[in-house]
Amino acid sequence: MNNSHFNNLEKPHSSVAGKLRQALIEEGIDFSVGVPCGVLRRVIDFLAHDERIMHITVNREPEAIGVAAGAYLAGKKPVIYIQNSGLFTASNDISSLLIPYRMPLVLIVSLRGCEGEDAPQHFVNGKATMPLLESFGIPYVVFEQDNDIYDVVRNLYRRAEDAQLPAVLLLKRGWDKT
Amino acid sequence: MNRESAIAAIMDVIDKDDIVVATTGLISREIFEKFDSARNFYNPGAMGLVSSIGLGIALGSDRRVIVIDGDSSLLMNLGTLVTIGKCQPRNLLHIVIDNESYGSCSEEESMSGSVSLSKLAATANYASSLTVFDESSLKHAILESEGRLGFIVTKITLGGRRDFSRPLDLVSIKDRFTRHLKGWPS
Repeated sequence: MNNSHFNNLEKPHSSVAGKLRQALIEEGIDFSVGVPCGVLRRVIDFLAHDERIMHITVNREPEAIGVAAGAYLAGKKPVIYIQNSGLFTASNDISSLLIPYRMPLVLIVSLRGCEGEDAPQHFVNGKATMPLLESFGIPYVVFEQDNDIYDVVRNLYRRAEDAQLPAVLLLKRGWDKT
Repeated sequence: MNRESAIAAIMDVIDKDDIVVATTGLISREIFEKFDSARNFYNPGAMGLVSSIGLGIALGSDRRVIVIDGDSSLLMNLGTLVTIGKCQPRNLLHIVIDNESYGSCSEEESMSGSVSLSKLAATANYASSLTVFDESSLKHAILESEGRLGFIVTKITLGGRRDFSRPLDLVSIKDRFTRHLKGWPS
């Protein structure tokens, strides 16, 4: 396997993407599944190219929820990545599979439609994302760049496990600029 | 063949070590009431995702995973055929119980009568794919597809019992399933 381009990410654990990666590895993530979003490019890069992680691509976000749920049932430790538009597509699958079965999986979700958004199709979803998660009663956090993403992610995993609920890490465009 | 005899045939012929993942509605409820076991996982809510769940289990485990899907359920999540065909898990058997209707609703017509689901699966690179119309062919197909990614459309007639109990204690079902897969006592 050609690891050259994730090695570039591996070195600077000081970078935000490197710290996110380190947090996921230390959580024991060994399975990843999702639908791409440009905002998550660096997340997908390391999930898809790390030999410790089985990486599955799917066609639509509900599939990602189902595959991750199955992998979790089989003893894997999956992480899911999707855009917030897909969070709405998969909302029934989170509310009627992950939550009632108490599966503490973490979803990394890009938050389109927040401040600075130029694409009008994201405006409503951007405003509705946090209220959706509030209404589901599941832990979530919006990463802000003055926080340490390593701590944010480790803390989110503790909240998911304590509550035995899925939890969502929301990443805005530019989250990985530093 | 009807839903009752199709499910009975499947449960009769699969191995005791196989895992069963059952789709939303009457299929899950019938299996829960008659064949409940630690090896079963029911998908009561996330419509269409039974095969995705089965794929995740098959990728994370060495056990043979028997997905018991419905025609309308599969049609809700048709991209799953492409995903599963690409992953090519040899320990997955995808059975579709096909009554050409939303049988768990009010038997409204589905679209499975206007397409060959088995041809779709073959196109998506399932290693074996066929349609069966009677119990003995179904049993034979289940045994024949062992060791490779299989797809069996099981054509059934409409109707049958509807007053099954529901799986309610989902957390206990999950816990005993995960313990079972680990080989722990239940």
